[in-house]
This record gives sequence, C-alpha cells and structure tokens, in this order.
Amino acid sequence: MFKKPLAFIKKDFLTESSYKLSFIFRIFSVLVTIFTYFFIDKLFGHRIVGHLEEFGVNYFSYVLLSMAFFNYVGVGLGSFSNRIRLEQMQGTLEALLLTPTKISTILFSLILWNLLFASLDMVIYISLGIFLFKISFANINILSTLVILFLTIISFSGLGILSASFIMVFKRGNPVSWIINSLEGLIGGVYFPITIMPAWLQFLAKFFPITYAIRAVELAVYQGYALSQLTKEIGFLLLFSFLLLPLSFASFRFALKRARQQGSLIQY
Amino acid sequence: MKQILKVENLTKDFMPPFSFGKLVKFDFKYRRPTRALEDVSFSLKKGEILGVLGPNGAGKTTLLKIIATLILPDKGSVVVNGWRLDIDDDKIKSFIGMVSSHERSFYWRLTGRQNLEFFASMYDLKNAKDKIEELFNLFKIDYQDNRFDSYSTGMKQKFALMRSLLNEPELLLLDEPTKSLDYTTALNLRNFIKENLVRKKGKTVIFTTHNMDEALDFCNLFMILQKGKLYALGTLDELRKKVNNPSAGLGEIYVKLTERS
Repeated sequence: MFKKPLAFIKKDFLTESSYKLSFIFRIFSVLVTIFTYFFIDKLFGHRIVGHLEEFGVNYFSYVLLSMAFFNYVGVGLGSFSNRIRLEQMQGTLEALLLTPTKISTILFSLILWNLLFASLDMVIYISLGIFLFKISFANINILSTLVILFLTIISFSGLGILSASFIMVFKRGNPVSWIINSLEGLIGGVYFPITIMPAWLQFLAKFFPITYAIRAVELAVYQGYALSQLTKEIGFLLLFSFLLLPLSFASFRFALKRARQQGSLIQY
Repeated sequence: MKQILKVENLTKDFMPPFSFGKLVKFDFKYRRPTRALEDVSFSLKKGEILGVLGPNGAGKTTLLKIIATLILPDKGSVVVNGWRLDIDDDKIKSFIGMVSSHERSFYWRLTGRQNLEFFASMYDLKNAKDKIEELFNLFKIDYQDNRFDSYSTGMKQKFALMRSLLNEPELLLLDEPTKSLDYTTALNLRNFIKENLVRKKGKTVIFTTHNMDEALDFCNLFMILQKGKLYALGTLDELRKKVNNPSAGLGEIYVKLTERS
C-alpha cells in the first residue's frame, strides 16, 4: 500500500539532495523572512496589540507561526499543479501513466516530499522562534494543532487539485491558483489579524479556508484551545474539505480524460 | 496461435488547440481537425513482430499511444489479450511495455539504477532488485550507477527498453526505438529483441519506423500507414502479391501502394 508513495519520497529525496546548496539556501531564506518580520514588529508591532489580545501574543510571535503554517497551505494549494507541470516538462508524466498506478496515488505521492519539506521549514521556524527569539510555545494543544494541520492540508489539497486540472488542460495560466494566492495572503490573516481590515473585507475573508485555519492554529498553539473550543473553525475546514475534495478529483479525472483525448499529456 | 491484440475501425482526430489570441481577434473561423487515424483495423498473434511503416505524421505514434492507453480514440475498439481499452486499462498497462521516441522520459538527476528501481516500484514488483540485475546482465550495462543525464543517447534508449521490460510485458510497443542510434547499436538492439524477447520468450512486438531496411530486417508482418489510413497489411510475400511483383523490395511496395491513392 505504501510502496509507491515511499518510492516517490525516495526519488524526490535523491533528486533534491543532488542539488547540494538547496538546503542551506532554504535555512537562509527562512532566516531572512523571520528577521524581516522581527523588524516590522519593532517598528509597527505596538500599534496592533489590541487586535492580538485574543491570541495572547505580540505581532512577531503571531506572524512567525502563521508563516510557518502557511507553508502547508502552499503545499496543498500549489504543489499539485507545480509537480504535474514538472512531470510534464521532464517527460516523465507519460511514463508514470503507463504504469498501473491509480491517479489518486500519483497525485498524493507527488506532493509527499513537499509536505515533508514544509514540515522541515516548520521545524526551522519554530526552533528559531524558541532558541533565537525566546518565543514560548508552552501552552500548545498538540492534538488540536495536528487536527487543524491535517484539515488544512486536506481542504487546500482540494483547491490544489482543481488548480492541477487547469494545468493538465491549459498547461499554463492557472486561474484557481492565481486568485487564491493573490487573495489569501491579503485577507486570510497570514500577515496580520483580519480584525485590522474593514468590515466588508472581513466578510469576504469568511469564504476562504485560510481564515479559519490561521485563526485556529494561533489559538491552539498560543492559547492551548481544545478541539471543543475550535468547533466553528474545524466545522468550516471540514465543510471546505467535503466540498472541494470530491469536486477536485472529478475535475482532475475530467482534465486527464481531456488531455488523453487531445493527446497532450506530455505537452507543456 | 493466441490472439494478443485486436484493433477495429480505429479513428482519431486531433482538434486544433484552443487559442486565446484568436478569441481576442474575434477569429471564430472553423478549423478542421487533423485526422491521425482513419478506420484502422488489424489483429496480432503471439510472437509476431509487426512493423508499422509510414512517413512522419502518418499516425504511427498515435496508434501505439492509443494501444498503450495514453490517447483515447474517437471511434473504434482496441482489445488487448481479451481486455477492452475503455474498461480494463490497468490490466492492459500491466500487460504491455512501451518505449517512446522521446529522449526525456526519465529522471535525469537520478542514476540509471535508481530510475529503474523507481519504475519497478510503480509496477509493484516483488523481486525488483533481482529483475533489474537480470536486465543489466542481459543488456550488458557497465555504468549502472551513473547519473542518467551523463549517459549517451544509445544508453538512454537501452534504459528505456529495460524499463519497458520490468513488468515482463507480453506486448511490446516500440516507437522508433532506434531513431537516435548509430547503425551498430541499432542492429544490436534489434537482434537482441528478436533473439531474446521474441524467439526465446514469445513476446509480441509492434515496431514503428520509417526506415524500410530496418523493418525488413526485423519484422515478419508489415503495416503501411499514410495520413492515418491503412494502405496494406501482411507478410512481405503478401504485399508483393498486392503489387504484382514477386521480387519487389519493401520500399518499392511502399511507394507503389501509397502512390495509388
């Protein structure tokens, strides 16, 4: 059952480790991001203290966690289409589809490495937070955090597979990814709490799963909220998952069928 | 002998790709689809080597890709070992092996061995390591652990053939496998397939080429395709009868048959 996904992880590890400097640059990139927000906090952090009261942390702690968590959103949202496009460009997609491997297995196996790398990023963010910036994660409710993490990946995977369907047919120009990427950072509460925004934008934010995911993870990690205290957020993430996942699988099957009709599986 | 493949009335049109540029220019002119295959029917028995001959754009690759489940036909049916293409594609995938003419169908940052191990996992092979060693011995591969992008074109083609044999397929689809190979390597490859895979193991092969000499040397059945239409199908003697010339070469037959249309 796990043989094929494990083969994908091994293959991606071997590919990634053949780029020697990649890991060092990754740590460097996380450090630059963290320091950018550290200084933004020094400059403006005091002005939004009131908006962060319910989370019980300062701006820097808030944004460090949401940035670390946001990588998982990126995996769910962007990895499917990026990896499908990469396989098309390498010419290996056709070779993969020639094997008796289920489409769902290929899709989820393709992003496993990205998921592991997002976890590595999370570890780097949190470790730097603890050891360099003395942020406390003592209140964390691990079960709530893991449940939120899982539901976030699932609901964003739905959007990600939808996005991969566009790549399969149109090769470039992916409206799903473009719209979500452009809006979620702005109104989803990743870089600042959504209570800062005008009421109409806060209303719009309710239609994006990222809003519930970020709020829930901040509360679970910093305030130790139990699952029973996060029912609204969990409910919405479940709703998004149930709506998006079947829709996305149906759309990907349709896209694959269309690509097979057009004979364009390896075009990019 | 057991029938391995039956193709009936296979037709495939490719629609011109959708273009935003034309939409912006309000260019709604109807563009005719390109006919890749038209009413192609044939069958193959175990152990036969069918050479599909035709110029570029004749429909050879489309035919192979349809049999390999990579392209869906518009009309007609394909039955491989009793399984229908539209129902049992997973069973068909386990039954066939394909070598495409694309050079880039491997992970170039991985070694040759790592590539084969990965694809062996996709076939769920239990004895993958032994199978890969067996293939290395069979193909006399010395540089098994070199990075794939460092291999010569001939070596890459050998790896493509090794990959297609991982699952012990009964039907091999070879799409111009000798296209980028020098004369000796191509000859060795053809001899290897004929001797080891067809004669000893009874595999069935479909081999596309536009090289008549190569086809004559390798195949025992010939199909002539042009603009998607099947012009002739049979052994060399049968094709000679068609053109009323008992000593005609394959090239001569090809020209005569396709000129008639």
